[in-house]
Amino acid sequence: MQESQGNGMPEESPGRYSGPRAYDPAPPERPDPTAVTRTRFLTGVALAGGGVMSAAILVPVVGFAVAPTLQGEDYRWVDVGPLADFPLLQVSSLAVSGPDPEADRRVFIRLKERQGVRERLGKSPADQLTLEELQPGDLELLVIWNRCAHLGCPVAYSRGGDSYICPCHGGAYDSRGRVTAGPPPRPLDRMDAKIVGPGGKSVTLAQALVKPSPGAPLQVRQGDYRLLIGKPYSIDDEERPYELHGPGEPLDGALANLYPLPRP
Amino acid sequence: MSTRETQPQARDIGPKNPLVQAGAAAVDYVDERTGAKTGLTWFLFRNVPRGVSWFQTLGFTAMALFGLQAITGIILAMYYKPDPNSAYDSIQRITEELTWGWLVRGMHKWGASAMIVVVFLHMGRVFFFGAYKYPRELTWLTGAILLIMTMMMGLTGYLLVWDQKAYWATVVAVNITSSAPLIGPYIGDILRAGSEFGPDTLSRFYSIHMLLIPGGIATFIGLHLYLVTKLGIAEPPWSRRRLAADRRERELREAARRRLEPGRTPVPVAPAPAAEAAPARSPEAGR
Repeated sequence: MQESQGNGMPEESPGRYSGPRAYDPAPPERPDPTAVTRTRFLTGVALAGGGVMSAAILVPVVGFAVAPTLQGEDYRWVDVGPLADFPLLQVSSLAVSGPDPEADRRVFIRLKERQGVRERLGKSPADQLTLEELQPGDLELLVIWNRCAHLGCPVAYSRGGDSYICPCHGGAYDSRGRVTAGPPPRPLDRMDAKIVGPGGKSVTLAQALVKPSPGAPLQVRQGDYRLLIGKPYSIDDEERPYELHGPGEPLDGALANLYPLPRP
Repeated sequence: MSTRETQPQARDIGPKNPLVQAGAAAVDYVDERTGAKTGLTWFLFRNVPRGVSWFQTLGFTAMALFGLQAITGIILAMYYKPDPNSAYDSIQRITEELTWGWLVRGMHKWGASAMIVVVFLHMGRVFFFGAYKYPRELTWLTGAILLIMTMMMGLTGYLLVWDQKAYWATVVAVNITSSAPLIGPYIGDILRAGSEFGPDTLSRFYSIHMLLIPGGIATFIGLHLYLVTKLGIAEPPWSRRRLAADRRERELREAARRRLEPGRTPVPVAPAPAAEAAPARSPEAGR
C-alpha cells in the first residue's frame, strides 16, 4: 500500500495506463465542534419537540393520578343526634365514615367522669360510680377515634377494663386513649365535639346536664340538646392538641423531625 | 394419490422432500424480512458453561409463573368487579358458582405465593453463585427492580379480595408506607387516593395490579433476558475456568503489590536487600 499524502490523492503508480483515474475524495474538513450543522439542528428540534409532546401527555396524566389524592379532607360539624341518646357514664361506639362507608371510621363517645372525681368521692378505680352521687360538672365528653396510632387498625373498647385494645399488633390504651402497652407512638386521636342547646347556642356539658333534686340521678336537660362532631386532631401524652398526624408518626421527640413537610 | 407414491416421499425427510423445502423456504422468507431466525438462534442456541445445573432454571421458573399469573389474571378479570359493593360477591361467585372458577382463582392465588418464593430462590442462587459480579451488575439491577415490582403485585392483588383480612392487612401495609420519612405521607395518600380507604382505593389498586405493574414487569423481563443472553450464564463458583481466572487475578494483584511484572510469580526474597535485589531480576521495570 502506498502512503497517502493526506490530500486523498495516492501517488502515481508506474505503469502504461495514462487515462483518468478514480480517487477517493478528500475527507471533508473536520467541522468546528461548536458549529450547528443541519443534522445537529434537526436532532435538537426532534428531541425538543418530542419532549414537549411527551410532557403535554404525561403532565396531565400524572397530575390527574396524583393531585386529587393529595387534597386534604374537608371537615364540617356533623349532628350525630340528641345528647340524651348517649348514655351517661358509658362509652358509645358510633360509625362516622360519612359518604365513604369503606373507610370504616368509628368514634367512641365517652361520657364519663373527669379525672379526680373518683378521688374526691373516695372511690377506687374498680368501684362503680352512680349518677346519683355525681354533679353536672363531674362528667366530661371525649370523642376518641378508633384508628390505632400505630398502623391504623381499628381499636376495640373493652368495657371491663375501660381501655382500648388494637387487634393487629397489641397496642393498648387507657380509658382516655393514652398508650399503656405496645408499639403506638402517641395516644389515640380525638375529634372535636360540641353540644348545641335550644336556639342553636353552644353549651358546655355541665350546662346540658341537670340534677332535679340533690339525691336524684344526673340527667340531660329537657329540650333540644344535640351532639355535634367535627375535625379530628392528635394529642400528645399530656393531651395537648396537635394537627392531625398519620398512624405511626410520633408527635414529639427526635423522630417527629422525620416529617417536616406540610400534611397533604 | 396412491399409497405407493406417497410413502417414499413421507419417509424422505431430507432436503429433497418438497415439504421440507417448502418449510425451509417459508422460514427463509420470514428470516429475510425480520431476522427472526437469526435472533432466535442468538437467543436459544447459546453456549452454556460447564457445570450448569437445575439451579440455573429458577429464573425461567419465575418467568413461567409470571406467565401463569398473567393468563389466569386475564381470565379472572373477566368475572371480577372492582367495586366495593360487588368485589367480594364477584369473588364468591368465581369461587362457588362458575365452572372451574375455584381452579383458576386457586392457580392465581397459589401462583402468586410460588412466584414470590421462586423469585427469592433465584435471587439467592445468583447471590451465592456470585453471578451478580462483573459484567453482570446491571442484570442484577434489573432483577432487583423485578423483585420490587413482584412485591407490589402481591400488595395490590391482596386488597382485591376485599374481605376483612385483605382490607385491614392493606390498611396496615399502606400505613407502613406512609410512615416512611419525608415523602411517606404523600405516597400513602397517592396509594389510598385520599386520606382514607374508599371506592377509589379499590379501583386504583386494581388498575395498578392489572395494567401498570404487569407492563413494567414484562418490560424488565425483556431487559433482563437480553442481558442474560448477551452476557451468557455465569460460570458456577466451582468452575475450573473461573477458578483459574480468579487465581490469575490474584496473581496480578500480588504482582502489582510487589511491583513485579504481571504474570511473573513472585519469588520470596530476603527482606533486607530487597531494594537491590528486585531491579536485578527485572531491570526493564524501569525503577
